[in-house]
Amino acid sequence: MIIGLNHYLLISAVLFALGFLGVLLRKNTLVIYMCLELMLIASTVALVAFSHFNDTLDGNVFVFFILTIAAAEVAVGLAIIVALFRQRHTVQVEELNQLKH
Amino acid sequence: MEPVQTALAILLLPLASATVIALFLRTRGALASWISTGAAGVIAILSLQLILGGARNFPASWEWLKLGDLVISLGIKFDDLAALMLFVVSVVGFLIHVFSLGYMHDDQARARFFGGLSIFMFSMLGIVLADNLFMIFIFWELVGFSSYLLIGHWHEKSSAAEAAKKAFIVNRVGDFGFLLGILMCYWSNGTVNLTELTAMGAANQLALGAAIPLLLFCGAVGKSAQMPLQVWLPDAMEGPTPVSALIHAATMVAAGVYMLCRIHALMVFEALQIIMWVGTITALYAALCAIVQRDIKKVLAYSTLSQLGYMVAAFGLGAGWVSEGVKGGAMDVMRLAPDAAGVGAAMFHLTTHAFFKALLFLAAGSVIIGCHHEQDIFKMGGLWKKMPVTFVTFTIGVLAIIGMPGLAGFFSKDAILYLAMKNDTKVFAVLAFTAVLTAFYMVRMWKLVFLGEARDDHAKHAHETGLSMTLPLVLLAVLSVVGGWSAVFGKLAGSVAHLVPEAEGPVHTTILLVSLVVMTLGAGSALFFYQSAPTDSLEDKSRFAFSGLVWLKESFDRLYNYYVAKIQQRFAMLLNFLEQIFLAGLIIRGFAGFVGLVGYGARAFYTGSLHAYVYWFLLGAVLLWAFATGLL
Repeated sequence: MIIGLNHYLLISAVLFALGFLGVLLRKNTLVIYMCLELMLIASTVALVAFSHFNDTLDGNVFVFFILTIAAAEVAVGLAIIVALFRQRHTVQVEELNQLKH
Repeated sequence: MEPVQTALAILLLPLASATVIALFLRTRGALASWISTGAAGVIAILSLQLILGGARNFPASWEWLKLGDLVISLGIKFDDLAALMLFVVSVVGFLIHVFSLGYMHDDQARARFFGGLSIFMFSMLGIVLADNLFMIFIFWELVGFSSYLLIGHWHEKSSAAEAAKKAFIVNRVGDFGFLLGILMCYWSNGTVNLTELTAMGAANQLALGAAIPLLLFCGAVGKSAQMPLQVWLPDAMEGPTPVSALIHAATMVAAGVYMLCRIHALMVFEALQIIMWVGTITALYAALCAIVQRDIKKVLAYSTLSQLGYMVAAFGLGAGWVSEGVKGGAMDVMRLAPDAAGVGAAMFHLTTHAFFKALLFLAAGSVIIGCHHEQDIFKMGGLWKKMPVTFVTFTIGVLAIIGMPGLAGFFSKDAILYLAMKNDTKVFAVLAFTAVLTAFYMVRMWKLVFLGEARDDHAKHAHETGLSMTLPLVLLAVLSVVGGWSAVFGKLAGSVAHLVPEAEGPVHTTILLVSLVVMTLGAGSALFFYQSAPTDSLEDKSRFAFSGLVWLKESFDRLYNYYVAKIQQRFAMLLNFLEQIFLAGLIIRGFAGFVGLVGYGARAFYTGSLHAYVYWFLLGAVLLWAFATGLL
């Protein structure tokens, strides 16, 4: 079986769906956060695949940017989660509901 | 100094004086009074130098504001007309400053008073020197402000504070018309520069019509207290007497007449007719009111009104004989000929009136001080022995205003009467009758104040005032005598003096006889009629005539009170009601309520649950996708 573009896109879609469902359904903030990362990774897989099959560098360049931003985001996001845990002693989203109205 | 620099120095010196007094010397009354008087003295010297130096119409104009096509500039137009007015303002102003040194010596707020005088001199000189209507308007408002400041000098008295407010508000009414007139003049002629307007008038390029001159005349009606806006001037006597002399007799109230002479090129026949009648009726009305006044300053105030009416009527009469030139089309709209006799007669009377009315007011101030602030003429009497200088100078003032031959008022009044006789017999009759009344009420006051026996303790212990007050009186008395002589006035007024109409031959004899008869009739009947008694002889003998005149005097105030309280106030209440419902209720509260409701609904989305937000996000993404693909 020749592995073509569609296979990569399928993997990317499955990863994205997993990430999205995780964000929708999981209760733990840390896990939700990991799911967000999963969605980002899914998009990078698709981009690399496009780059490979179209013989251009555009997708690869995009991936570099996404990785850079994801790294910066992880630094900030994890710091917020740690600070939140110190303050509230929990990272369960149903208990983090004070910010409303 | 160059003439331009001199003129600028004249204009800016009083401003500097006022600034220094307002910023640093508010509690140093003595120093402030000397600075202000010194500034006035320097202005008088510089003015004389400028007037006698002979430089005229030097170019001086600076662009100040540029809004699209509209350029507002500040400039100086110094012609013979301005030179004459400058002489009146600076010399009379200086003498009144000197008088104030004595008159206001014991006042608590002396610094404020002299600062006010300085800011007034600045604004008045600005009107005199201005070269365009916008600049005149700016300084026009400034004299209104300084007049407000000085009328309300003794603001602890509620009557003074209210008189100041009244003067300011009534003037606003006139100034509104003035501003409209300026805008209309700019709109239809493209310029408000006086020199350019005169040039366009000479070349017959001006937009014709009675609206512009009549709207501009509204300003003069307010400032020169003509009917129907005359009500503020008698009340303005609440201010200190030097203020009445300077602002409400000699200079500011004459600014309206001066402004009319400035815009003479814009005049048309119909407008001049209206101006003439307004002036004539004011002259008669005020003279009638003056007969029943008890307050020495109120008599003079109504006399001022009456004389201002004379000037305005004289200006309006300048059109009459030109219309005779066009037979068969007498009612045609027509340009005025440049030999405008009305300007000459009006400015002549303005000048002589400034001298003798300032003299009369200052002498009245001297009487008031001498009698320990008593102003009721029925409580005075017999002052001629106790106040000889005041008596002599006051007598000269009275003789000048009633037109004794040889004194200033005689010549100027004759010029006006001659003009009236030539152009309009009805106006002539009214003005001649007014002259009878003038002689009547002036001699009445003179007799009650100075002759007979003292009728009150204040008058019994009256004393002559100090040198700072008598010296200006003497100088003004000299001016009141010589001011009308052609040698003096011709030198001061230059080309304006040539505009003054002069009767010749038999007409001259007629006019002379008329004015002599008029004067003798008025003065003689007053001398015989009024007894030196503590009650008004007219009230004793003819209660009906007396109360009629009092009613006439009060009728305008009553009418305006009724209008303000009953009509304007109710209209304002109606507007307020509508505003509460529509503007405040429907529009303001309505919109706020609607936005509040939307916000109340939108708040429901904001639950605090992270998962709910993810669903909203999903919904948003789906909607966006639907839009992008064209499904929605």
